[in-house]
Amino acid sequence: MYCGGNGNIYIGMGAGQKHRSVITDQYLSPVPTPIGYRYTGPAMSAARDIAIIARWEVKKTFSVMSRNVLPVAIVLFVLLVFVTGFAAESGLHIQDGMYRIGVDDPKVAALFTSDTRFTVYQDTDADLIRDRGAYDIVIVRGGVFASATQKGQSAENALARDYAQYKNSVYAGESDLFAAYPLWIDTESVESEINFSTPQNGQYIPVPPGPGAPVPQGPVENIPTPSPTLGITQDELRQQIATSSQENSPVSRYTDVLSPNSAAMGSFVTPDQLSPPLPFDSIILVFVFIFPLYFSSQFFMMSIMNERIERQGEPLLSMPVKTSSIILGKMLPYFLAMLAICTVITLYIHASLLVLLPLIPIIVFFLANALIIGMLARSFRELSFVSIFFSTVATSYLFFPSIFANVHVISLVSPLTLIVLTVQGTAWTVADYVYATSLFWLTAAVLFAIAAKNFNEERLFSEKKFLPRIREFLSGILPEKHPFAALFVLALISIPFVFMAQMMGLVVFFNLPMPYSLISLLVLAALIEEMAKAAGIYTLFVRDPSFFSWKNLVLASAATAIGFLVGEKLLLFATLAQISESIFGSVLFLSLGSLWMPLLLHFACVLIVASSLKLGGKKALVPGLFAATLLHCCYNLYVLGWFH
Amino acid sequence: MKGRHIAVIAKKESRGLASEKTILLAILLQVFIALFSSFLMVGLTAMYDPVSLSRYSHFRYDIAYAGNESPLLGYLEGSNDLRVHRMDLSTAVELLKERRLSAVVYVPDTAPGSDDPVKITLYTLTDDLQGAVVDVRLKSVLLQYEGDLRTIRAGRLDVTPIPLQVPASAGSGDFYGFVYGLLVPLLVFLPGILSAALVIDLITEEYQHGTLETLISTPVTFAEMVWGKVLICAILVPVQAGAWILLLSLNRIAIADPLLILLHVTFASLLLILIAACCALYYRERTAAQFVFSTALVVILLLVLALPYNPLNLVARIAVGTAGAEQWIVLGAVMAAVLALGYVMQKYAGRIGGRSAGEKEQGSG
Repeated sequence: MYCGGNGNIYIGMGAGQKHRSVITDQYLSPVPTPIGYRYTGPAMSAARDIAIIARWEVKKTFSVMSRNVLPVAIVLFVLLVFVTGFAAESGLHIQDGMYRIGVDDPKVAALFTSDTRFTVYQDTDADLIRDRGAYDIVIVRGGVFASATQKGQSAENALARDYAQYKNSVYAGESDLFAAYPLWIDTESVESEINFSTPQNGQYIPVPPGPGAPVPQGPVENIPTPSPTLGITQDELRQQIATSSQENSPVSRYTDVLSPNSAAMGSFVTPDQLSPPLPFDSIILVFVFIFPLYFSSQFFMMSIMNERIERQGEPLLSMPVKTSSIILGKMLPYFLAMLAICTVITLYIHASLLVLLPLIPIIVFFLANALIIGMLARSFRELSFVSIFFSTVATSYLFFPSIFANVHVISLVSPLTLIVLTVQGTAWTVADYVYATSLFWLTAAVLFAIAAKNFNEERLFSEKKFLPRIREFLSGILPEKHPFAALFVLALISIPFVFMAQMMGLVVFFNLPMPYSLISLLVLAALIEEMAKAAGIYTLFVRDPSFFSWKNLVLASAATAIGFLVGEKLLLFATLAQISESIFGSVLFLSLGSLWMPLLLHFACVLIVASSLKLGGKKALVPGLFAATLLHCCYNLYVLGWFH
Repeated sequence: MKGRHIAVIAKKESRGLASEKTILLAILLQVFIALFSSFLMVGLTAMYDPVSLSRYSHFRYDIAYAGNESPLLGYLEGSNDLRVHRMDLSTAVELLKERRLSAVVYVPDTAPGSDDPVKITLYTLTDDLQGAVVDVRLKSVLLQYEGDLRTIRAGRLDVTPIPLQVPASAGSGDFYGFVYGLLVPLLVFLPGILSAALVIDLITEEYQHGTLETLISTPVTFAEMVWGKVLICAILVPVQAGAWILLLSLNRIAIADPLLILLHVTFASLLLILIAACCALYYRERTAAQFVFSTALVVILLLVLALPYNPLNLVARIAVGTAGAEQWIVLGAVMAAVLALGYVMQKYAGRIGGRSAGEKEQGSG
């Protein structure tokens, strides 16, 4: 019966205030009273509560949306279909006219006029040579001369691809295909046991070979001699060349990533097709899969925010239901909608439905963050800024590593890589899945737990600033009765976030030259860890400075240090063995060997921060963090043996 | 309509933005994406740009050659980047697994003039940067060999393509095209999109938090209030876009004519901001307004991108220095659209303002 009663409260609230009619109207249509509501045990009732709240949420959203939005949305959708068709017809004109080329032969000029990136000028060869400064490329008597600038090089690349495409179109029509394509390459991939220990971008091989031919150390496995024939008919090969020669247009180069493509033809390629994977291809997957998810999670964020405006969520909170049920119930419709969107997209691009497996943790992660941001933001602009910031960071966390899909094992940090692999038709293992998604699952779970603890009137309707609110939220999960246990748990659950931030650092710094990448990572990793460890202590300190007697201070530091160490080791053993074995791993996560050394370090660092807080007050946090980071860096350098 | 009132509102909003430290997040965001582009610069050019790779040309990759003699062996040995070892296939693959070789090439016993193709087997490591780099180097050698074989078999071709001497190094990565043809136009238009979203927040907030009455009770009219909000959002655009261009040039991505780009971006963004403001005035509620605006934005962007000489393309052209006089026509069209939409919004806001003033009188009376 409770829903009906709440509906009345809203009607009463909304009656006198016309200008807010849109918001109050959503409550004017009371949610159907759950007739036949019977207590059937805790699990059943929780499920029932969630279902009720989910239904309520859907109804509320639609009542807001249907008023004026639905007709406009339908019109926009129809327009979108038309515009998409138009864009597909006309192509995307973003790189038009970037390069100027001068050609002396009209037949050659005709080859490049269809590429809108080029503005083609025709002139006599003498004039072209005289004015060559005005062109990025000059083609005179069959020779291609690009200017020595970056732009000239880029123009030359574009031109070379166009020319290769033209040649392919001629050769593919030849009756004797093996005269046109006399050389075929069969690429065989060989697995190597050592993967992450070669973090450099192709600048050196870890074991420099001697002057003569190297001799294998392990036992030699017999490799069968490859067959000299292709085992495929000319017609099938012709088809492959035809499909792959279309790949060169600026748009289709990206859209082709989505089509489960030519791999069906086996691994045979002509030398021309032998190319490293293009680094930006996976960005299309970000647009296709990640942006719609981000977009729909906005609705959830807004729904949470709306509950907080003018205390509108009060009736919801007064329902005799657990807060976790409220949160899950509000979230469920969005989760299902996002899953449905992904399924539709997957079916539309004819990809395997396995793609959904790595997408689910991304969806959950987005929703968890939307929930927290919706609960934290004070105003709409704050909501916008924080959510845009979050989406950029999350998108780059997903996108950066996937650049290296097929190239380097670091790519597996991101679930997006699994999507790239699935779309390609490459298999991945359960271990890969755990490796790529565990951080998403864990951080989402922790965020939900924090949200559930703080989903109450005091927190939701507070007018405090952003950072104090975050502190309050942490304070909410630190029970006053058991401060040390709370610190232990807080340090433990901060681990997934720390790892995520450090992974981000690894990915960003990975490409700097060797000593710099390691040093930047060293400092960043130490700073992130110290900040995470200080969070709990700082929260407690602000809540009750008198709690920190020297004895309690030491105990609190110990609890934090132990919690952090336990969490670190647990997650390491579970997921990240591959990275932790490398030199980068030893910087990030300390050595796996002895336990008392890192424990001592964590303890000392927390103690530094806590002591400086006690002696200098809140303002001493930054210097304290700085000192702790310094100590941490020195320890890491010592472990790495750089002092010897 | 008084300029002073508009300025007062703009100032109030800018103070609001500054006091909430969230603007810091926006700045952090810029630095972050700048870091991203430097990451692209350092990492990916080294990987995909053969010119920058030649910096490491003192290093020679060890590869193994197995199988039969062929001219390919000579080409491989002639390459500056590769050191070729002849050995049998099984040993070579084992060495590859131990990472002491970068690639293994196996060549069968097929005559150059044979009716069958020459099928080479290439063994490389999975998930390995080095393998990708070696692929780039092997490719040029293999293309050379393919050319030879084609010449030998040329008599069997029906048509020969128009010959063109394209330098062998060409055709690898396209970093320049990506940066100037995609990254730069998108980055400088990003502030416009953000500002449009911001104006929706600023306007709907007055409605949803019920602060509109207080504002209307001051001498400021409703239309002036809306223009003040539009103004502050519009001012943010060139500031942010300018910061982008500055950050890009710090990353050694030189932009040919920054001021001209800012001019185009500011007016095109103003158009977006006005559309967003109209959405917000109509819906008065953030979720609906943002939803309709962002869907409309997708339609508009797609339509604009499909047109030649669109503002994004102009930015790319200006950035690389190939823009012509046609840009002034486009700018004129955008300005005309801004004026038209500004007039519509003025009328609409005036109507709403008149209505809410009427309501106010009714309420008090």
